[in-house]
Order: sequence, then structure tokens, then C-alpha cells
Amino acid sequence: MLDFLKMLLTPEFFFSIIRISAPILFATLAAIVVEKAGFCNIGLEGLMMFSALSGSLVSYYANSWLIGLLAALVVGVLMSLMMGFFAFQLKTDITLVGIAVNIMGSGGTLFLCKVITNLTEGKTMASTTGFITKGLCIPNITIPLVNKIPFLGGILSGHSLLTYLAFLFCLLTSIMLYKTSLGLNIRAVGENPNAASSVGVSVLKIKYIAIGFSGLMCGFGGAFMSMSYAQGWSLDMVAGRGFIALAAQAMGNGECLGGMLSSLVFGFAQALGIKFSARGLDSNLASPIPYAVTIIGLVIFSLVRRSHAKKERSAAAHAAQAAK
Amino acid sequence: MPDEKAVRPDETYVVRMEGISKIYPNGVAANRGVDFRLKKGEIHALMGENGAGKSTLMKMLFGLEQPTSGEIYVNDQKVTLSSPSVAISMGIGMVHQHFMLVPSLSVAENMVLGMVPRKGMFIDRAKAIAITKEYAEKYNLHVEPEAKVADIPVGMKQKVEILKALVRGAKILILDEPTAVLTSQETAELFRELRGLKENGYTIVFISHKLNEIMEITDRLTIMRAGRSMGVYNTCDVTKEEISRLMVGRDVVLNVQKDAAQPAQTVLRVRDLEYTNEWGKKMLDHLSFDVRSGEILGIAGVEGNGQKELIDMLFNLNTPNGGTATVNGVSVIGMPQRRIREHGVSLVPEDRMLYGIAANASIEENVISDRCSAKRLNRGPLFNMKAIHEEADRLIQDYTVLCKTRKQHVGMLSGGNIQKVVVAREFSNDPVLILADQPTRGIDVGATEFIRKKLVELSRAGVAVLLVSADLNEVMELSDSLIVMHNGKIAAYFKDTKDLTDDMMGEYMLGLREQSAEQIGRVCHD
Amino acid sequence: MTKKREIIFSLVRGLLAICIALFVAMLLIFISSEGAGFGEKLRATGAALKQLLIAPLFRTGRSGVSFDVKRLTDVLASMIPIIFTGLSVCIMFSANQFNLGAEGGIMLGAFTTAMVAIYVPMGAVIHPIVAVLAGGAAVAVLMLLPALLKTKLDVSEMVCSLMLNYIVMYVIKFLMNTYLADKTKGQIQSYEFLQSAKIAQLVDNGSKLSVGFLVALVVVVICGLFMFNTRWGYTIRMIGLNQDFSRYSGMKVAGVIVLSQVLGGFLAGMGGGIEMLGRYNTFSWSALPGYGWTGITIAILAGNNPWLVPLASFFLAYLTKGCELMATYANVPAQLLDIVQGVIFLFFAAEQFLSRYRQKLVVKSAQEELAGKEGAKHA
Repeated sequence: MLDFLKMLLTPEFFFSIIRISAPILFATLAAIVVEKAGFCNIGLEGLMMFSALSGSLVSYYANSWLIGLLAALVVGVLMSLMMGFFAFQLKTDITLVGIAVNIMGSGGTLFLCKVITNLTEGKTMASTTGFITKGLCIPNITIPLVNKIPFLGGILSGHSLLTYLAFLFCLLTSIMLYKTSLGLNIRAVGENPNAASSVGVSVLKIKYIAIGFSGLMCGFGGAFMSMSYAQGWSLDMVAGRGFIALAAQAMGNGECLGGMLSSLVFGFAQALGIKFSARGLDSNLASPIPYAVTIIGLVIFSLVRRSHAKKERSAAAHAAQAAK
Repeated sequence: MPDEKAVRPDETYVVRMEGISKIYPNGVAANRGVDFRLKKGEIHALMGENGAGKSTLMKMLFGLEQPTSGEIYVNDQKVTLSSPSVAISMGIGMVHQHFMLVPSLSVAENMVLGMVPRKGMFIDRAKAIAITKEYAEKYNLHVEPEAKVADIPVGMKQKVEILKALVRGAKILILDEPTAVLTSQETAELFRELRGLKENGYTIVFISHKLNEIMEITDRLTIMRAGRSMGVYNTCDVTKEEISRLMVGRDVVLNVQKDAAQPAQTVLRVRDLEYTNEWGKKMLDHLSFDVRSGEILGIAGVEGNGQKELIDMLFNLNTPNGGTATVNGVSVIGMPQRRIREHGVSLVPEDRMLYGIAANASIEENVISDRCSAKRLNRGPLFNMKAIHEEADRLIQDYTVLCKTRKQHVGMLSGGNIQKVVVAREFSNDPVLILADQPTRGIDVGATEFIRKKLVELSRAGVAVLLVSADLNEVMELSDSLIVMHNGKIAAYFKDTKDLTDDMMGEYMLGLREQSAEQIGRVCHD
Repeated sequence: MTKKREIIFSLVRGLLAICIALFVAMLLIFISSEGAGFGEKLRATGAALKQLLIAPLFRTGRSGVSFDVKRLTDVLASMIPIIFTGLSVCIMFSANQFNLGAEGGIMLGAFTTAMVAIYVPMGAVIHPIVAVLAGGAAVAVLMLLPALLKTKLDVSEMVCSLMLNYIVMYVIKFLMNTYLADKTKGQIQSYEFLQSAKIAQLVDNGSKLSVGFLVALVVVVICGLFMFNTRWGYTIRMIGLNQDFSRYSGMKVAGVIVLSQVLGGFLAGMGGGIEMLGRYNTFSWSALPGYGWTGITIAILAGNNPWLVPLASFFLAYLTKGCELMATYANVPAQLLDIVQGVIFLFFAAEQFLSRYRQKLVVKSAQEELAGKEGAKHA
């Protein structure tokens, strides 16, 4: 037991938590912004799949990770805007649009992969893992000075560029929501769309911006998956991170800081699972840990929220009593 | 018929709406060839019953809806008002009946929403507050710029709404039933403010049903009925009776015929009911009263004085902090709605679209919702479809629901017919107690009269009725005895409604007067 | 609007949605097809489309087009699992519960049934029945989790059921790998089902069209009656339409929400069990089979109406077969199906799709009605 704890308390372990959290954090930010705009995008999973595929393919054909990343972002945004078109213009239930995108993101990406690469599968699934060499991955960044700090340096330095961006975007998203007029508009549209439209704020535009933002974040998340977390795209590689992000959004109470902490909790759960399987636990038992943690996390969050509300109510009643 | 005698031909209008028709996707023709004109600097009343098409017409003027046919001119320019922002840019502003405010934002943030002052990339909060203060002073409309909208009183919310329109350069203000939520003092204040605006050259459209207010403040009026304009008049040239006749097409029958009540045993007994809401406001303060079989007990009061909370407690849609409520001796606090109904309690809910019906289900499905498990409607595990069809057809006929078939979706019906569906269900399950919460709000005269008659009929047959209504006329007319609620308490109890005057009621409703504990105590018939 | 116009509108709309999806499919096939020039590509596309659209039922040879019974039975056989998941989703979505657990459900049902079929010896007729019911029951119990968490704690049933899908898959894989696999085989598969557990075939041509197909049709009838002709189905639908209204009307909202998901789970589990015993000899699924997602598409196409599920299932089974044939004979990857499915799904669920056309019909009806009234007045 002590042995195991020692193994956990290493810079490598904390490093891996941050690394694993990054794509979830991107997706969580996507979920937070659309939630503030008043809806729920459950297609994050599919969006990330499409971005992951296009990022890895374009970076291979263009021989540049940067162009690959940009392609992932463009595809993420375009796909999300298409979702917006169906949801806002054709009035398809946004949940169903999300499900459709997820269906397409699963088999559809495999179709595109096969068609574009002309890979025919034998027994093994087609993937782009053969395409992405080290040089086509998103570069890791060693932070000078920080990397010299004992312990902390090993945790904080040497991450992928996108990992740093994920945490930077967490801050930027928070500022965007609370300090800019765009954020004010997004929150107004989410809370009372009629109020927003009655003063000339285009609800449709704001919703498109919000869903486009979610596409952008999924673009980053997808690119991270296929060009940093793994080398190359493979079927269903996002593995539920888009759904976990929805849970992280709820557990973080819809705020960026809370969402970040929740993402880290999931990162921790998965890192722990990996450590367990390294210690000989069947990977089929280690893999479901993050999913179980998601359910448990939602339950705990709900219980806390409930007791909180109860406390507030009784406090209010007390205050009213005292005022008398 | 349109009477344009007051209009000189050379006069120019700031707004002309000509031949406006609007057919909604559900097939409802809300406006049919309506003409509507506004002169600069006037206060113009737009009158009509609910469903006459006033709101639709104004929504089109504010760009929220587009006319199916017809033309709109602003300052003699033909315009297409494709969205509120276009309307705003033409100097048209609207204050909606349901406030268009974002509760979690501050007053200043609501003020500048859509035109936020910026410092670099960020919101300039100081500037937003300064703008709010400037306009508040200029037009003498006092608001607190930094308060959260969720925390301010209704009267102030309305001022924020008016300021919002003004700060956006509105010269034409549309006020949709602005006094519906205000106390008489607040109304008086609003009128002062509106006169001030008029003097400054603003044009105001005032939508209302309240005749007194219209006579007091407006210069001209347009009357609508069933989607058509019934004419334009100078307010000083018409009488209240004439207006009323034009609005409803016949003289309003103000008296429901009813015999004297023969109250028998107590059915509903409420004692010391207490409730503090989530924001710590005491909504029900040791409320005690009885309702007896065979009588209608009315509850009057300005909305928001605990009536809604009381009904919620009696039907277990909320839980009180203390006190008891029993129906024929059985406590209904915390009892599931199914059991409450089994004890013979019916509720005509205030929010009929939320609680009263499932809009996308058929009439038939709506009228059996409370009795779907009844033996007579089931045959083993299956529904007895024949019995259900018969039940639905019978209720549609008895309650004169205007529809094509029982399979028609309830949401496609007019407001009055929707309410008839609700009432058909609630009145037909052999109730011992009917809780009627705003039973005729916003529905046409015919349906209103029908429902009122049914209520009286049932009470005379021995049902206990608790009637909550914000319509003073209704509550005074229908009730055998009456309580007035103010601030979660009973401010007055009147055993008899005959000698009551509106003025007296107003004073109790606004908390200017209160009866002694002993007088109020008489509502409990122990 | 008149009933006739309403039906015509629905038909036009549905057909157009399918046409758009086929057009998208055609574009994708064209892009992916091999060939040097435009003409060659076009010919390849035509050949592929023929496989997709005609081949599932007809064989084209030198002698022209001929009906192929084997292919029809193939299509019918592949309807079996998706009828069950389609019904499952219909019932859960009717209560406005976006429970996406049919996917994990069908796998757990298949697994449980397989275990009973292998390890619990029984009489010939009773064995498959018990095994399939056990599969259904296992998933019904599993669905209690999202259902209870939703009703008691307001935890999103969608996220919860999705997470359960992954957990179910991994746990089954773990159990198979560690304890249950037949170690004599090269791949991971269970021991063979007992002979007594197998579900009889209707047609012995290798299509695997088993008695399960008839069971599926019977279950369609039961579900149709349940949803529209019983108080429980009625309550589920009313809760889906307006939960506040249902509570106010005295319905047991929480209980019925749980019921809808338990029933949905039971159906998905049954589907998995029947598919197992009717098609396979051993349990060898190592990933989620995808029938749950197809079930969602079916529920959307059927508008949550159980009576329409067979039709929607046939359509999707036909498309699936077409895609498979296209992959075999025209070298177009079979996963095209997912894209086609997604596109149809999107347009079918789009309320405003063709709304202008609808508005025109409504206006026409309203005008006719008005004219009729005026006419009546004059008469």
C-alpha cells in the first residue's frame, strides 16, 4: 500500500494527470459556454472525433503539425456550425443533433479515413497511427527555469503546447464570460433569450458563436487526442471524453474554475487506472474507472447541491425569524 | 364604420400600419386587415379583449413577428421590421407585459445590454452605471443601477424597462398592459412619468383593458375585436359604455345570477399556515380560514401577496414551514396529488399551459388525465377505448369546447377553449372542494361567463369553492364571502360581499387598512 | 389543417429527407470511387448505388433483375435486434428520458442470456425463454441505476447511461478474458451454448432468420398496445409531454419514469438475448455492437410510435445490407451507413424542415375554412 502511494507521489504521476485532463478540459469549456448560452451540446464526442481525424490526416499530407492543428480547428468549428444550423434554423432537438453527430463521428470518421487514405482493412481496423511521426505531433514545450524546480518542474514543464493552451483557455473563457460584452450577451441569451432579443442582441448569432466556440474547443481537444495524446487517429479514440466533459460541466456548477477542477478529478481517475494496470490489474478493470468516477462524481455533486440548498433555505428562514 | 372624425387629412403620422393580416403557423388568424395609425406626441390606447389581436399587432410593430400581408410606414417611409433591432433603430421601443430583463444581471448591465460601453476589450462598468444614472435623472425614473434585477421590486423593473427603451433612442413607446402588475400608487406614478414623456414629444401606445385608466391618460384609442379594428376615436368623444360595447359587441353582463349560499359543514380547514420562500420572504404568515360546503370563499388581493403560495400548499406543489390544512378532517399537507384528488379536491391552476394541459396531447387525452386508472375506463390491463371516447365526447359537449374532434391537440385551441378543457376535467370528477386559481384570466367573455356560471352551479350543489382572483370584479361578484390577502396575511374578512365598494377593497388590498384580529377570526367557523 | 394534408405533408417530408441522405451518400461514393476520369467515376458510382439500393433484395445478373429470397431473409434477420432496441428507445424517449443505455443494454442482455444458455441446463423449449428473460431482467435492473439517480437526485440520465455503456463493455470483456473464455480457441469466445438453448430458425438458408423475428413482431404489438391502449403507456406519454401537468393530474411521475426505463432496459436486454441464441453458437462480442444507436435512429424515424418501428427497422436493415454489399462488391467502406443514418436522422428530427411549405398548407386550410364559414353564413 505504502509502496503504491510512493509510486503515486511522483512528478510523473502528476504530470500524467495534467496531460490526461487537457482534452477533457477543452471539452468541458465547450460544454460550459454552450450551457451559459442556454443549451446542451452532447455532440462534443463526435466533434472531437472529426477534428482528431482531420488534424492527423492534414498534418500528414501537409507535413506540418501547425496546418494539421488549424485543420482540426476549422473542421470542429464548421461541424459545430452545421449542428447550429440544424438546431437553431431547422429546429431539430439539439440533443438529437448531438446524437446524430456522435453516430457520424463514430463510423463516419472510419469511412472517411478509409476513403481518404485508401487503407483497406484486413482484420485490423484502419487508423492513421502509421502516419503521424514524432515530428508531426504537436510539440512539447520545456519551460526554462521552471523545469529546474525540483518535483514541480517535472509536473509543470514539458507538456504539449495544447495542454498549456487548455489551461490558458480556461482563464480566457472565464474572462470572456464575465468581463466582455460577448460574455454578457451569452449569459443574457442563456438566461432570458427574449430579453436579449428585445434589445437587439441577435439570439441566433450569439447561439452560433457559442456553439462555434464549442466546436473550436473540440477542435483543440480532438487535435490533442490524435496529435499528442496518441500518435494518429483510431476508431472511437475519444472514448467518451465528450460525455465526461458534460458531467464535468455540471459538477463544476457551470463555471470555468469548477470545470477545471472536475476535469482534473477525471484526469486523476484515469491516471490512477493506468497506474493500477501497470501494477498488474486487468486493463479491462482499470479502463472503466473514469466512467465510474463520473457517475459517482455526479451523485456526490447532486447530494452536495441538495444539502446546500437545504441549508440555505433554513438559514433564510432563520434570518427571517431573527428579523422579526 | 371606422370613425375618423377627429383626424384632419393633412396630419402626418409617425406610424402607419395598413391592411395588416397575420396568420400563425397553427392556423390562427390573429389580425385581419387591421389599420393602425399613431400621431406624434399622443398617448394612444389599444384596446380589446384577450385574443383580439392587440399583442400580435404590436409584436409586428416591434419586429417580433412579421405580417402575413400589409404594409408598415414609419415617418412615411415604408419599412420592413424584420427584427426588434430594426424596430429599435427606427425609434420604436416596447415594454412587455412579462419583463424582458435578465434577473442575474445588474440594472446597469440590463440597461446597456446589446450596446455595451467598452474600455478596450472589456465592459466599462463605471460608464454603464453613469449612463443609467443620467437617464434615470433626465426622465425622473428612479432606479438603483448596481442592484441585481432579481432583487428589485416590480415597479422598479418596469422603470428599468422604460429606461431601456429610452436609452436606445426610442421615440415611440409601446406599453403592453403596464399597470397589470402595479399597485394603484405605482400606477399613479407611472402616469405622471408617461405624461412627462408625452410633453417631451414621445409617442406612447398604451395597451390595457382598464377603462378608467384609459379615460384618464390617453388621447385617442383604437379598439380591436376578433382580429379586426373596430375604429379609432378621440378618448374625450366616447363613453366607457360605448367602448365596452365596441370591445365585446354586447353589453357586458356584470351580474351572475345566484341564490343565497346555504353553507353547511366545513370542508377545508386551514390553520396557522406558514411559509418563507427561498429568498427569505415570508409569503404566508399564520394563515387561518375555513371554506364550507355550499359556499364560494373568494380571496382578493394584489398578486404576489401569498395567494399562489397558498394554493401550492393546498395541492402539495410546495411544502409549508408550519401549520395545517385539512379536507374533511384529513391533512393534505405533503399528500401526493393522486391522494389529494381521491379526497375530492380539484384545482383549476393559475398557469394552465404548465399544469392544466399537455398542449401536444389530444383533448381526449387531456380530459382523462386524472381518471386514467378509473375502473370504468379500463378493461383489465387495457383501456376501454369506447368508454373513454364517450367520456371525452360528453365533456366536450357539456362544456361546449369548440373543436373539430376529440383527437385535436389542445394546444391548437383558443385560450378560452383550453380553459374549458381544464375546467371540464376538474369539475366533472365529483369534487367536494374546488380550488379555482384565476379561473378566467385572459380568456374570452363567453368562456368566462360559462366558467363563472358553472362555479356557482357547483357551489349551490354543495361543493366548497375557494376562488382566488386578481380580477376584483370577478371575486366580488362570485364570492359569497371574501377575504383580502396582504403580505401573506388576511387583511380583512367580509361575511357578505353586497356592501363592498371598490375603494374599500383597494385600501385593504394595498395595506392601508386592516381589520381587527377578532373580525378576521370570524373566517374560522369553529 | 386537414388530416389528409397532414399525412401528405409527412410523407413528402420523410421522402425528401431520405432523398437528401441518398444524395449525400452518392456524393461520398462518387468522391471515394476509383476511376481515372469523370465518366469512369460516374460509372463506378452507379454500380455502387445499385448495390446499395437494389441489391439488398434483388440479384442482378445477365438474365436481368431477379428477386433473391436469401437476401430478403438476411434483411429480415438483421431487423431482429434493432426492432428491440428501437422499441426500447421509443418507450424511454416517450417519457422524455434521453437514456442512451440501449447500447450497453443489448450487450449485457446478450451476455447474460449466453451465460444462462451455457451454464444452466434446462428443457428444450423452456431454456431459450428463461435465458432471454434473464437477459432482459439483467438490463432492467441495470437501468434502475440511471432511472433512480434521475428521479431521486436529478442526475442526468443521459450522461449516466452513456458511462454505464462503457462500464458494461469493459466488465464483460474482463469477465470473458479472465474467467469465461474457451481457452482452446484462438480468439476470445465463450463455450458453446447448450443445444437446448438455441432458438429455432424459420428458414434454413443460413440467413439466421430465427423464431426471434416472430417474437419481435409480437413484442411490437404488445408495445403498441401498451403505449396507446393502457393507462401505463398513456401515463408515460403524458409525462413525456408535460411532467408538471402529469404530477398535478395525480400521476406517479417518479415511479413511471423509472418504469419506462426499466421496461426499455428489459426490451434491449431481450433483444440482445434473442440475437445471441438465434444467430450465434458462442458469445464473442468484444465491443459494443451499435444496435443501441441504430435503435435511436429507428425511434426518431418512427416518431416514438411502436407501431412504426418494424417499418423503420426494415428501412435501416435494408440500408445496412446495402452498405455491406456495396463494401463487398463496390469497394465502398460500409461505414458510409453511419453518415447516411446521421443525415436522415437530422432531417427527420428537424421540425422546421419544409416549414414554409407547411405554413403554406396551413394558410390555405385556414382560408378555406374561413371561406367555408362565410359561405355558410350567406347560405
